[in-house]
Amino acid sequence: MSDLYFGTDLFSEFDRLQRQMAGLFGGFPSSIRSGRLGAFPEVNIGSTDNSVEIVAFAPGLDPASLDVSIDKGLLTISGERKPAYPENTDDNARVYAQERFAGAFRRVIELPEHADPDQVTARYTNGCLAISVGKRETSKPKAITVQ
Amino acid sequence: MSDTMELARKDETAVSRRDGDRPQRRMTLTPAVDVFEDSQGVTLWADLPGVTKDRLDVKVHDGNLFIEAEAVVPTPAGLRLQHAEIREPHFARAFSLGADLDVSKVDANLKDGVLKLTIPRREEARPRRVEVRTG
Repeated sequence: MSDLYFGTDLFSEFDRLQRQMAGLFGGFPSSIRSGRLGAFPEVNIGSTDNSVEIVAFAPGLDPASLDVSIDKGLLTISGERKPAYPENTDDNARVYAQERFAGAFRRVIELPEHADPDQVTARYTNGCLAISVGKRETSKPKAITVQ
Repeated sequence: MSDTMELARKDETAVSRRDGDRPQRRMTLTPAVDVFEDSQGVTLWADLPGVTKDRLDVKVHDGNLFIEAEAVVPTPAGLRLQHAEIREPHFARAFSLGADLDVSKVDANLKDGVLKLTIPRREEARPRRVEVRTG
């Protein structure tokens, strides 16, 4: 009886949600500009010794409609995603689910102070936008010889 | 405390009963979908960013449609993750299909991380106009 109503997956779904929330808030503090939870596109940020690497999970976009800009240490990713289904439909057409994001979006990422806005590359592959921002020479790790 | 244990155990058996073919339960993301139906059939779009054709598995089994995928994002060596909104790059979602859909003619197309599935209606299930004769 209870299996029928509660489904087999409810508890693991809660568990998953809870772990995702914990992962989001418990791991690293998020930026004041990062916006609401689950904003489009989702963004991962990492760094190497030479660069800051940003990946935006933005499937189904025309690369020409993607706008990436840097101003005063803020990296902005903006654009628009059109709904997938046709707008002019016959009378028998029905929409059952519309979970995918549609419309204009904008995400702002605070770059660290040592990021170099002159060394930026952006590449869109398989629905992921990978942005690499170089670091200034002075901030790179350096071994100091002891005399 | 014992209640929680009870629930956890119960859940485990329920999951293994249903997903008997899956050896262990991996944490997966549920991809967002759009589902649209017209007189020809059902069209489904699923967001699978970072997924390539060889990492995507679309199966129809016992009238159920399974979508499983893994995203691969090329990262430079020595990357230290600082902020992550997508941690587990595994996507999975399943749907049951009505008998009026022709599962043998499912068409799948992956472009820019979006999977488009078209599942046509069976020929006999399509709406048709019946000619009325007079006389």
